[in-house]
Amino acid sequence: MREIVSIHVGQCGNQIADRYWRLILREHGLNENGMPKDGSSVSANSNMEVFFHKVRDGKFVPRAVLVDLEPGVINRIETGEMSKLFDEGSIVRKIPGAANNWARGYNVEGERVIDQIMNVIDAAVEKTKSLQGFLLTHSIGGGSGSGLGSLILERLRSAYPKKKIFTFSVAPSPLISDSAVEPYNAVLTLQRIRDNADAAVILDNEALFRIAKSKLHRAPNYMDLNNIVALIMSSVTASLRFPGKLNTDLGEFVTNLVPFPGNHFLTASFAPMRAIASEGQVRSNFPDLARETFAQDNFTAAIDWANGVYLSACALFRGDVKAKEVEENMASIRKSLNFASYVPTGIKIGVAETAPEGFASSGLALVNHTGIAAVFERLVAQFDIMFDNHAYTHWYEGAGVPREKMAEARDTVADLAKSYRDAS
Amino acid sequence: MDISLERQIASASRSVEEARRMSYNDPSRTGDLVEHISVLADLRQKEGDFRKAEGLYREALFRVQDLRKPDHELLAGIYSLLAYLYDRWGKMDLAAQFYEKALKLSEQHGFQDADKAATIKNNLAMIFKSLRKQEKAEQYYQEALDSFRALYGEENAKVASVYNNLGVLYYANLDVDRAQSMHEKALAIRQNLNGSDIDAADLSQTYINLGAVYKAQGDFQRAEECVDRAKKLRASANGYAPVARRSASLLLDRSA
Repeated sequence: MREIVSIHVGQCGNQIADRYWRLILREHGLNENGMPKDGSSVSANSNMEVFFHKVRDGKFVPRAVLVDLEPGVINRIETGEMSKLFDEGSIVRKIPGAANNWARGYNVEGERVIDQIMNVIDAAVEKTKSLQGFLLTHSIGGGSGSGLGSLILERLRSAYPKKKIFTFSVAPSPLISDSAVEPYNAVLTLQRIRDNADAAVILDNEALFRIAKSKLHRAPNYMDLNNIVALIMSSVTASLRFPGKLNTDLGEFVTNLVPFPGNHFLTASFAPMRAIASEGQVRSNFPDLARETFAQDNFTAAIDWANGVYLSACALFRGDVKAKEVEENMASIRKSLNFASYVPTGIKIGVAETAPEGFASSGLALVNHTGIAAVFERLVAQFDIMFDNHAYTHWYEGAGVPREKMAEARDTVADLAKSYRDAS
Repeated sequence: MDISLERQIASASRSVEEARRMSYNDPSRTGDLVEHISVLADLRQKEGDFRKAEGLYREALFRVQDLRKPDHELLAGIYSLLAYLYDRWGKMDLAAQFYEKALKLSEQHGFQDADKAATIKNNLAMIFKSLRKQEKAEQYYQEALDSFRALYGEENAKVASVYNNLGVLYYANLDVDRAQSMHEKALAIRQNLNGSDIDAADLSQTYINLGAVYKAQGDFQRAEECVDRAKKLRASANGYAPVARRSASLLLDRSA
């Protein structure tokens, strides 16, 4: 069993959901309506219960809760190919929108909708036998994903104190910016992620753009970016869903990846990053695959690699890989990574038999690197410039988040950055 | 846990999910949904899961508030259900707050159901008593009493209950004389109720309370008489004998 409930919040979270569930459906040999495809053997060979629950007519319904404060993206999912896939009872959408304001998502609009969301999540949890944890996808720069996402995290933690909570959090990019108040939203959300999540994979659109552009050899669009995120999310849970020699679950990831409480901010890499050609599978030999998996420019966040050390790393290989090859190649990769002096240079390794569709084999790396402090420091610096000049703060005060609370969040994130720097 | 309760909860939550699906496509079905939700919330409360019950009632509350055409009666109903939940949960401040909201709404829109409003007033008074706001408690008891008397006349079980509650309040304030007169009124009504309305537990409670009053006045003989009667009543009522814990808290008022 070991079921996982996925929660997708806000525009970004639901766009990821769109790509992610397409991928998961294909991996499990299901069509867009959640029915097994004719002649597919995949479903027999995998643990469907992790992500789906089966209803009477043989349909598999995702254990997913979709939440948004504006109907746009969810409408597109509902009118698209997967219109019959999701349970309408587990879609929560409200009209007003959070207007890019964390405080509106957290207090004003969130207050009115959080109970419904928690009831829907409770109902999803009641359908599980032994729940392992939650995956939450959201962006931390916007309004709904950040503010409402924070509120959901807090309530989730208090309702399910012992379940693992994994977030996939899209952070504002250093250069591209969607809105002026992103640093406020991000800092306020990071505080909640630090306090309530077990692990957070930080993704940033600029890094994703860079990866997509250099590997796909064409101008990438948001679908490509979300596809990368979907591949990472699917790999994290692969060994729960498919048989393999080395199993890893969310709990094992957390134990291995988090050396100090609160320092649970990770970055991820997926390899091989290739455009899936229509004619066949992407094949790569294992040494190349392993090297690409741990290549610095393949990671999804703007990490300060030069001024930092690895605290921990996990790797999960899928598909056609041999245990002997894994052993040999990972030994040399281990040596090439700059680990903190007090950490034994172990890399937790998992292997699952089934690769994502279109790949013969694939690799996933999840690492905890102290260079992630750079992401927080940049956000705090941007926060300070606006905050010290009282710019835009009235929107937050007006929605019940006084300046003291904002300063408190800022200090939490600054401390977080410092604790990472100190750990180097 | 009680197996039948578990089964009831499972079927109620299925109904809620189905209703959620229906109202997702057709907002006019929200009324059904709210009904299913409050059934489930009531079961959750029986199960002792106050957090889930609260979440359910609050979902219902916001859904009703979002309706295009406001349904004040339904809204007031949910307010009072929430208040009752907080009351049982021991969150007295919140309970009082929501009861008052329900009352205000029913006064603004002049609901027909005066019985409900009077019951709310009685419950509010009990909450203020436990918050040690004696004056407010007394005021609400009086209002509840007036409403019940206007509705049903003097000879009524609900009127007797409020007399009883007022008596307990006065007793707690060391106002023994007024407590005595209240309990005597309650006794007079409870003794003379029609067969089906007689509640042996209520009646014996009144004897116990009266006994306490007489004892406080130093009239031990009458106090003992009252307690004896109460004991006999309890023994005759289906062999029901008060357990020790209950005896120790006999002066608690029973909810109306």
